[in-house]
Amino acid sequence: MSEFEPKIITFLCNWCSYGAADLAGVSRFQYPPSMRVIRVPCSGRVSPKMILSAFRKGADGVWVSGCHPGDCHYISGNYYARRKFDVLNEMLEYVGIEKGRLHFSWISSAEGVKFAAVAKDVIETVTKLGPAKKFIKKLPEVA
Amino acid sequence: MDAYTDKIKEISKKILSEGKVDVVIGFRKGTLGYMSEPYMAKSEKEAENLVFDCNCRMNLVNYVTNRKDKVGIVVKGCDSRNLVTHIIENKIKREQLYIIGVPCTGLADKKALLDLAEGEITSVEDDNETITIKGDGFEKKVAKSDVLQSNCKTCIKRNPVIFDELAGPEVAELEISDRFADVDEVEKMSADERWNFFGELLSECTRCYACRNACPLCYCPTCFVDESRPQWVGKSDNETDVLTYHFLRAFHDAGRCTDCGACEAACPMDIKMRYFTRKTIKDCVEKYGSEAGMELDKRPALDQYKINDPNEFIK
Amino acid sequence: MSQKIGSVLVAGGGIGAIQAALDLADSGYYVYMVEKAASIGGVMAQLDKTFPTNDCSMCIMSPKLVEVGRHINIELITLAQIEDIKGEKGNFEVEIFQKARYVDIDKCIGCGACAEKCPKKVNDEYNAGLAKRKAAYVPYPQAVPLKYTLDPQNCIKLTKGKCGLCSTVCPTDAINYEDTDKRFTLNVGSVILSTGFEAFKPDEMPYNYKNSPDVVTSLEFERLLSASGPFQGHVVRLSDHAEPKKIAWLQCVGSRDINTCGNGYCSSVCCMYAIKQSIIAKEHDPGLDCKIFYMDMRTYGKGFEECYNQAKDELGVKFERCRVHSVYNTGTQPGQIIEYISEDGVKTQEEFDIVVLSVGMEINKDVQEKAKAMGIELTDSGFCKTRTFAPTATSRDGIYVCGAFQAPKDIPQTVIEAGSAALCAGADISEVRGTLAREVQEPVIKDITGQRPKIGVFVCHCGINIGGVVDVPAVAEYAKTLPNVEYAEDNLYSCSQDAQDAIAKVIAEKELNRVIVAACSPRTHEPLFQETLLAAGLNKYLFEMVNIRNHDSWVHKDTPEKATEKAKDQVRMAVAKAAMLEPLTEANLSINQHALVIGGGISGMASAKALADHGYGVTLVERNEKLGGQANNLFMTAQGENIPEVTAQMAKDLMANEKVNVITSCTLKDVEGFVGNFKATLSYDGKEEVLEHGVAVVATGGAEYQPKEYMYREDERVLTSQHLDKKLRENDPSLDKVETAVFIQCVGSREPQRPYCSRLCCTHTMVSALELKKRKPEMSIFVLYRDIRTYAEKEFLYKEARDKGVIFIRYDLLNKPKVRKGSEKLEIEVIDHVLKRPVVIEADLLSLASAIVPNETDKISQFFKVPVNDQGFFVEAHVKLAPSDFSTDGVFLAGLAHYPKPIDEAIAQAQAAASSAVTLLASKEIATSGTVAWVNPAFCSGCGACVAVCPYNAPSIRKEEPYKGRAEINPVLCKGCGACVASCRSGALHLSGFDESQILAMVEEA
Repeated sequence: MSEFEPKIITFLCNWCSYGAADLAGVSRFQYPPSMRVIRVPCSGRVSPKMILSAFRKGADGVWVSGCHPGDCHYISGNYYARRKFDVLNEMLEYVGIEKGRLHFSWISSAEGVKFAAVAKDVIETVTKLGPAKKFIKKLPEVA
Repeated sequence: MDAYTDKIKEISKKILSEGKVDVVIGFRKGTLGYMSEPYMAKSEKEAENLVFDCNCRMNLVNYVTNRKDKVGIVVKGCDSRNLVTHIIENKIKREQLYIIGVPCTGLADKKALLDLAEGEITSVEDDNETITIKGDGFEKKVAKSDVLQSNCKTCIKRNPVIFDELAGPEVAELEISDRFADVDEVEKMSADERWNFFGELLSECTRCYACRNACPLCYCPTCFVDESRPQWVGKSDNETDVLTYHFLRAFHDAGRCTDCGACEAACPMDIKMRYFTRKTIKDCVEKYGSEAGMELDKRPALDQYKINDPNEFIK
Repeated sequence: MSQKIGSVLVAGGGIGAIQAALDLADSGYYVYMVEKAASIGGVMAQLDKTFPTNDCSMCIMSPKLVEVGRHINIELITLAQIEDIKGEKGNFEVEIFQKARYVDIDKCIGCGACAEKCPKKVNDEYNAGLAKRKAAYVPYPQAVPLKYTLDPQNCIKLTKGKCGLCSTVCPTDAINYEDTDKRFTLNVGSVILSTGFEAFKPDEMPYNYKNSPDVVTSLEFERLLSASGPFQGHVVRLSDHAEPKKIAWLQCVGSRDINTCGNGYCSSVCCMYAIKQSIIAKEHDPGLDCKIFYMDMRTYGKGFEECYNQAKDELGVKFERCRVHSVYNTGTQPGQIIEYISEDGVKTQEEFDIVVLSVGMEINKDVQEKAKAMGIELTDSGFCKTRTFAPTATSRDGIYVCGAFQAPKDIPQTVIEAGSAALCAGADISEVRGTLAREVQEPVIKDITGQRPKIGVFVCHCGINIGGVVDVPAVAEYAKTLPNVEYAEDNLYSCSQDAQDAIAKVIAEKELNRVIVAACSPRTHEPLFQETLLAAGLNKYLFEMVNIRNHDSWVHKDTPEKATEKAKDQVRMAVAKAAMLEPLTEANLSINQHALVIGGGISGMASAKALADHGYGVTLVERNEKLGGQANNLFMTAQGENIPEVTAQMAKDLMANEKVNVITSCTLKDVEGFVGNFKATLSYDGKEEVLEHGVAVVATGGAEYQPKEYMYREDERVLTSQHLDKKLRENDPSLDKVETAVFIQCVGSREPQRPYCSRLCCTHTMVSALELKKRKPEMSIFVLYRDIRTYAEKEFLYKEARDKGVIFIRYDLLNKPKVRKGSEKLEIEVIDHVLKRPVVIEADLLSLASAIVPNETDKISQFFKVPVNDQGFFVEAHVKLAPSDFSTDGVFLAGLAHYPKPIDEAIAQAQAAASSAVTLLASKEIATSGTVAWVNPAFCSGCGACVAVCPYNAPSIRKEEPYKGRAEINPVLCKGCGACVASCRSGALHLSGFDESQILAMVEEA
């Protein structure tokens, strides 16, 4: 049996973390191909709907990454996001989503190394948890 | 709390006759002895019908949303906090309101009363210490603390935070040692246990939306579950959709919920959805020191930030 | 007089040059940017973080780099230097020498194949020599222009005639070994010199730098700290790559030192960067022991003192006041011994793992020589000479200076001067503004209303960059099977000119109405492809980019099949989104061409004049009867100019300026509106008047703190600095009788209730003390201080004061001086820091260097929705890169209302604020981005969450029907971050280009 390969939906803010992913590429830092990236202008753009949708769709993991506190291109977007993410993260774990399915990070556009390291960490954590089984909207089975 | 009734009538008549308000939103006795119902008194005569007792489980703030007229309203501590949020969120202007505050000693749990009754309940009396349940051929006395509605047991603000007049002297606030014991209990479980717990909790939900309709915070013109572009939550009783509904409703109430208990009181299936909202209250209090609706110049927790908010969950 | 030319030459490529170039290019001038390196960025691009906020340097800078690189009115001339400047103000001929790049800049697509194959490794300057680069290189990954260079000193082909590998691998035939150096002449109207500094080389200092790799310069340490540095941000001891336990910083290496290196000035930034580095190093390893050896702690800027206090009191960084004698090896073990005399006078030896030399700034000798040859006067230290009231004008008319070439300074001050220099350079040629600047041609855009989505997908091989890993043809084939995809193909290089032409052709032939390019990063290439869409008559927002290089082929080299899967998935997601893309319009909004300046002090007057010099009408309002503000109370600048005289002249000129309407005794009652369309209600002469204006400069100023300490107002011999100025100005005879004068520094500053440093008081005291000495050389003068903060060349005043016999006695916050009335004289008691004993000075005069406090800011803050900090100063849009702007568009900031500062800096900031305002006014219209939020009012509940979270005041609640009480977004103010959309519970808010439905469609297909 081949090893389980998770699918991780990754939201990257355009100014910092997307740039960090670009830099990780320029630097040829290798990490497993489990992520599917969605570029957003700011981590503050990421709504709870997007994260819930990803889990409902069957994503094994979700990762949201933005600029470091203070570095936000839009001044305060990531500060508001931080509160939303914390409350949402707590609630998801509270209803039984395993710790380690949802990840958040602050990665600046100069931190290609950190990007690759966090990517590896996220992928490894989600891989260990195995396929997601909760919060998935299953299509009605045809009899 | 029955003693407040006369004062509420007196104030209501005064403000109606003086033209300070067009209507007073309060309660009157319901057709069932254990349920008082919302009532809009528009004249001194109608004000005579107003009551206040431990059966006033609806949150009347729900009835002032987007009103254009001048309104008198009867509020307990929790409701008054919803009123604050309503003012902050432009649902009503402070100037439109004449707030009759009720220093609250707690509501009686509907189910507890029914369990004690030996027949149809005709009246429930409350002297703040003892509840007397009367019905055909029975009369029962019980300590009020034994039949308190669950949210009232962990109430942090029994006296209104905002009012024009009080219906009685302020009461002592509760000293609560273990405010979030119920949430803590769930948090101690394993992830799978929690998942099953909530599955069980919601298994009877028919998505009648009584909880949403009872909640003063749920005033969106179109609720997210009814959005069609994109329609990302199904409208059926599919378990994921049911969970999504309760989950996101609670998230939308994060930093705004006062734990008034109207949602649970309204639920025909007796679902304890406050397990969701109370988790958000706990987090907002513990992480941001933010209690909903305490001050007119403080927006809900998720509309604000501090530079040193908790950051440990972020890599 | 010769004809004026509508272009400006900016020499340099650092942050100052970048800011000046952008200001000018945005105001209608054509700009040549002449940089001696292969790409722009300067020293700021090498920094890890910036003080005092520790923002990521590259993160905040790279959007500016990209903006310069793409600006149609900025021409980058790299590897080039100015040889000579002929002509005069308005019409200069600048002779340029440009070295060969050996790579055709038009052909190079920045793929990096040349560098990958290049066999020659050399020291990497970007990493301060701590890492290697190839002889074919770009200086750093985010470089602009992202074009490779062959280093002729090291390229094997160029030096030995052999090799030639790069030429064989270059996919676009861009390598040209026959390239030659060039000389040419540029005809420009003005010149700005922003050539920056060189870090002092400490080889000859007794700090063991030459002998030990563990003694590093601060710039080398910056690279050690940086995540993009040679050790990915893991700080190591270079001799053995061990993790350090103890790090020392030695301040003033190459600064404030005439004995060893001849640099007598202070380098202005080293105290703060050492603190910053120590904080970041401790963030990496909280157990790290950090110690900073310093002479005076010069944390004089906004937020600096707080940062210093945090390092000292909360983070445990140690500070040792002394000049280190020497550094040497321990012997056989790694580690460095620092030998110093501690504050108690004890000779001490202490071992450290790493010693960081906080090296100062110097001006390149060649730059100095050339400047002199071109008739530009320099100071004795080699910096460009300027005057207080024209802080960026060189001695040669029409040539301006900014940044470290003028004097050692930090980034914000450089950015301010860049604005000032740009303002002046533009003003000289404002009649010919727009004559050389190019305008973007508006293409004809096809209407696609009612068409079903017809998507074209172009998958790029990027040579072997993508194609070597991902099965590109398979991805293109797969794309053809996806819904709404009308056409798909693979290209060798989608970004090459021929591929661009081909794509445009296909768009027309297949009537495509959505385009996807799967290639590299949208951060670098999206604008390019959007131009292709425009050329083909498609709205540029009908484009989506998929990054299958940086995020795929480059990082999944070993799993090509999975990389191909990922590419297919990402293309499928993009197709789902693209089907939902809509053409977006960029609305234009006209800008009222009048400016309002609030405050008639030096800053307000300088701003008003600057705006008028550019031809704009200005209304200046001042609440007092007289213009001049604080300057009326002062005496003399550090350069000896008479302040009240010059101020009076400025006021007189302004009153006579027909472009400027000065209204004194006037208050601002209300302001409504937004950028381009403000309405201010002015109250004066007993009436109220509404003024329409497009921009506003806030220069509401500050005042001297009125001390409650040191017997001020209890004894008439106790004065504030301004009061002493008055006596000096009026030649008060009482001064002649003074035998002993005492100055106390930091009165009301750097105290718990007012933690900031007031920046100018040390210099002010030096000027006053020297003047007293000049008038009466036998006068005894004592200065009681905590740290002397005569930054930059103001240090020479400090030296002069010492030389002239002024006695400096240090006190600390816990032992402040005591003042009492003696039998005849004032008695001032202070604990002598050398003797550790109280000494009593009998004085006839006590001057208190009183803090600068901001004037009232509440109203302005409400009117323009601009923030104020804890101390009452206005908060700028960005501490580093937008020090004269507010986050509210169209409102600018200058002078003491921002932070205490001397006159030259206030004027520079006033001109910088004006420069920012001019860039707005000059465009006459604000074009909104298409990527903005909008409200569907039927869904809006009016809760105001959007209003609360937006930092730009774009959302508001409608005050009128229809939809009264519901939110609306002003697209002019919206920056498209989407914070409001994510906060909206009702689903009423949408973000064009990143709408919920579009993102959920991608999630659906992921």
